[in-house]
This record gives sequence, C-alpha cells and structure tokens, in this order.
Amino acid sequence: MALLQRINAAARDKVFSLQEAFFLAWNAFRFIFARPFYKEDVIQQMDAIGVQSLGIVVLTGFFTGMVLALQSAVQMQRFGATSYVGSLVSASMIRELGPVLAGLMVAGRVGSGIAAQIGSMRVTEQIDALNVMGTDPIKKLVTPRLIAALLMLPALTVINDVAGIFGGNVIAKYYLQLPTSLYWATVWDQISSGGFVLRFIPNDFVHGLVKPFIFGGIISLTACHFGLRTTGGTEGVGVSTTRTVVTASILILVTDYFITQALLALLHS
Amino acid sequence: MRDADEPKDATETKSDNPADTATNTPDEERRATDRRGDDRDPDAVHPERVRAAIRKEITADQVADEDPRDTDAHPVIELRDVSLAFDRPILTGVSFAAYPGETVAIVGESGTGKSTIVKLILRLLVADRGEVCVLGNDIEKLTYEQALEIRQHMGMVFQGSALFDSLSVFENIAYPLREHTKLDDAGIEERVREKLRIVDLDPDQVMELSPSELSGGMQKRVGVARGLAANPKIMLYDEPTSGLDPLTTGTITNLILKLQREYKVTSVVVTHDIRSAFRMASKIALLHDQRIVFFGSPEEMTASDDPYIQTFLGGY
Repeated sequence: MALLQRINAAARDKVFSLQEAFFLAWNAFRFIFARPFYKEDVIQQMDAIGVQSLGIVVLTGFFTGMVLALQSAVQMQRFGATSYVGSLVSASMIRELGPVLAGLMVAGRVGSGIAAQIGSMRVTEQIDALNVMGTDPIKKLVTPRLIAALLMLPALTVINDVAGIFGGNVIAKYYLQLPTSLYWATVWDQISSGGFVLRFIPNDFVHGLVKPFIFGGIISLTACHFGLRTTGGTEGVGVSTTRTVVTASILILVTDYFITQALLALLHS
Repeated sequence: MRDADEPKDATETKSDNPADTATNTPDEERRATDRRGDDRDPDAVHPERVRAAIRKEITADQVADEDPRDTDAHPVIELRDVSLAFDRPILTGVSFAAYPGETVAIVGESGTGKSTIVKLILRLLVADRGEVCVLGNDIEKLTYEQALEIRQHMGMVFQGSALFDSLSVFENIAYPLREHTKLDDAGIEERVREKLRIVDLDPDQVMELSPSELSGGMQKRVGVARGLAANPKIMLYDEPTSGLDPLTTGTITNLILKLQREYKVTSVVVTHDIRSAFRMASKIALLHDQRIVFFGSPEEMTASDDPYIQTFLGGY
C-alpha cells in the first residue's frame, strides 16, 4: 500500500511538473509580444548565451570537422575517393553534427548556468521579491532567455558548421594533400545537391537552422523550468543544474530524430 | 522549540547598548547566571518578573507624539477565518485585522505558519478557506494581473533580504520605480537617495556597491529601503532581525518604529524576537497549534494569565 502511494505521488509529481513546463512555455512565448519589453535583459542574455559560447563552439566544431575528415579519409582511401571528403564533412556538419553539437555544448554551458542562476534566485527568495514588486518572473527572467536562445543557437550553429568545414579543410590539405579549391568545390556540390527552398536557400541550410532554433527553445525553457522549481537550498540548485543538462541533452537528441524525419518528409517529398 | 538564531539567554536580550553590559558588577553577573539557570528549567517561569521587564520595554519606546493608529478607519489588512493545509494543516480559522498606521507583530514557535500569513497577504499562497482582504480587496478573488497591481502598494522585507545580487544597491532600490513609475533618471536617483537616508545609510557610500559587499544589517536596511521605494501603504517584514547581532537588531527595530511613527505605514512583522515585537507592535498575534491564541496589545499580553502565553513569554 505504501509502495502504491509512493508510486502515485511520484506519478502525480511528474504530471504536475509537465503541466508546469507547458504553462511556462506558453507564458514565455506569450510574453514575447507583451509589454514591458526587457530589451536590456535580452541583449545581456544574447551576450551570455551567444558571444560567451563562441570559444567552446568554434573549438568543438573545428576538431569535430578534423576528426570527421580523418576518419572518412581512412575509409575513402581504400576506394580512391578521398576527393569527396569535403562533401562528407559538410553534409555531416550542416545537417547533423553542427546543430546537435552546438545544442549539446550550449545545454552544458548555458543551460546549467541559467538553472543555477534562477535556482539560486529561488532559494534566496529573489523570485518572491520579483513577485512582490509586481513583476512576473516569467516575463522578466524566462522570456529574455528564451528570445536570446532562439536567436543565438542558429547563429552559433552556423559558426560551428563553418569551423567544422575549416577543420576538414586542414586535414584535406595537410594530411590528404588535396587542393583547397577542390575541397571547397566538393563542399558546395554537396550543399547544392540537396536542392533549394525558394530557389536560393539550400535545403541543408533549412535543416541546419530549423533544428538549432528548436534546440534553443528546449535549452532555455528546460533550464528555466528546473531553476524555478528549485527547492532545498544550495543542494537543490545542484540537483536542478544536473537535471537541466541531462534532460536538455536527451530532449535535443530525441527531438533531432523527429525533426529530421519531418524535414525529410517535407523537403524531399 | 527555539530556533538557533534566537537569543540564547537573558543576557543577550538585555540591552542594545554596550555600555549597559560593560558596567555589570559581579553580583549582576551572578544574578544573570541564576536567571540562565531558571530559563533552562521549563517549570521555573516567573510571570511577575517577565511582566515587569516587558512593561519596562514597552514604556521605554512610548512616544509623546500622537498615536499613529487610526482605529476608526477600515482595516488595511484583514484575515477572516483563514485555513490552509499542505501535507498537514498549517493554519485553521485564523482571523485578525490591521488598521491604518498599526504594526501587527506575528509571533509564535517555529513552524507555526507565521511566514505563511505574510505569503497569504501577498497572494504568493492562496487559502483553502476564508478571506484575505488587502486595501478593501479580497485578494484571492483578483486576477493575477490585479494581484500584481495590489502588490505595488506593499513593500516586503525578506528574512534573507532577497536583494538581487546581479544588481547594485542603487539598481535594487530603483527596480520597483523603473517597473511601475514614470519617474525619469533624476527622479529615480533622488528617490533612491531619500530612501537610503531614511534607513540611515550614506547614499554616496553604498549606492554603487553590490549586495555581497554589504554586512547583514546593511543588507536588511537596503531591503527596507527597496520595500519603501514605491511609497507603499503596507510594509511586511519576515524575520527582520533574525541572524543579526543585538546592536543591529536594535537598529532595525528602531527603523521599523520610525517608519510607523513618521510615515504612518501599516506594518505586519513576523518575528521570533519577542523583545523587538513588544517595542514595535501596536498589536501582537500569537500563533499556536495552527490558530491565533492571542491577539491584542503588548500590555494585554503581559496581563494575560493564560498558561501558554506565560510559558511563551517566560521562554524569552
């Protein structure tokens, strides 16, 4: 009986948590169009989420591109197809690795930071203070972070893609001795072979920019949700931070599959 | 039953003035030691001694000015038969009213729901039963936006100050002004300076500091200044003196008294510190076993023969 009660309580808590998450997401999006607009907060968050993540994103992108080129070169050398290494690196980076890697990096660096900051504000009653002073904490804290993440994740992904392709170029030039012009020609061939949306926008770019836009929403809302639900002092802040990174990372990987399915069905039908 | 942040014995609550303690003779020290022995014995409560000490405390702070209370007016805050339960009942049938200019101190043992009452007044919590009226509005029947509007007439001082640590002292106090008034930058700065002076802080010295650079007492005072920034009709204090040394406790208590006397702010103070409560309150609400077991003036409280009240007062 006690076990049943515990299961019931745990299930009820999960359902309430999910309900709160949807309520938070709805309000955060609704407040994008409602006054007052916290422009300074949005710019500050764009700096924290975007500019300050540049280093980590460039570094991971560059080395991932190098590893991709290196691994594929080993296989391609068997068939004498090393000249296509640019195609492989660009396709992998733009469609999949760029958005997912940028998403995972930002989830780790920024998601944990947001959860810790909002969680600390919760346990030190600063969220209550906002409420008491007639400010909606969702409007003041969540919406600026959501807007910043929605705008900065696609930008970081493009930078990650470019860094990855440059990383591939380094391996192509110095390890495979391929001319740079040939490498970039195969990169462009790959991008254009996927077709275009509205004649000018490569399908691969659409793939590559829809995903980070959604990942930005997932990271910011997950972090704010766990941050706002923090209880139990500083230990609770640690728990919220861990939950944010784990949940956001899993959601990014799972959502990535479904977005890919949907985009393939839409763009290649 | 007492919290760790409460005074441990009679000597700690004796005086804010260090000169008082410095002139203790060996005989006085011995008597103080005897009193500590009495306090440890739950049966050794001396009602007459407690009453005399409290009467002295009350009269020490009585002012010659007119009484700030206006008991003919409608209540500013009124709780009617309020009940609230989470996993267990927290409050049952709680009723009291605060009139314009009054200071109501809510006292009681830890975990009796004192802070919960403040959260109900702010509508950070909603009662299961009963009515919570603030400025004539049943706050629980208001929409969320209307409740936010009513909260703009209330200032709150939190137990841990709850200053925004990402903002400077100036920005903390300016926050409610930027949010809810149309004051320009010069007007905001003037208001911030005025409020800092009210709480006896030098604006030029503290405005640009961050909250982490302030002492606990200064943080509390900045918290009070922030609460006062929008000229609220109601001030709510959650344990304003907890964790502070006796001198700073006295400073904060005097500050609350000053706001009551000079600015006629209606206040609700949640406190463990019965000494401060007696100094600042027009009415005292004693919470016990989910209910208010006493509501009246400090004089009425000391005159009460109720065994629980006497034990409670004797415990201090």
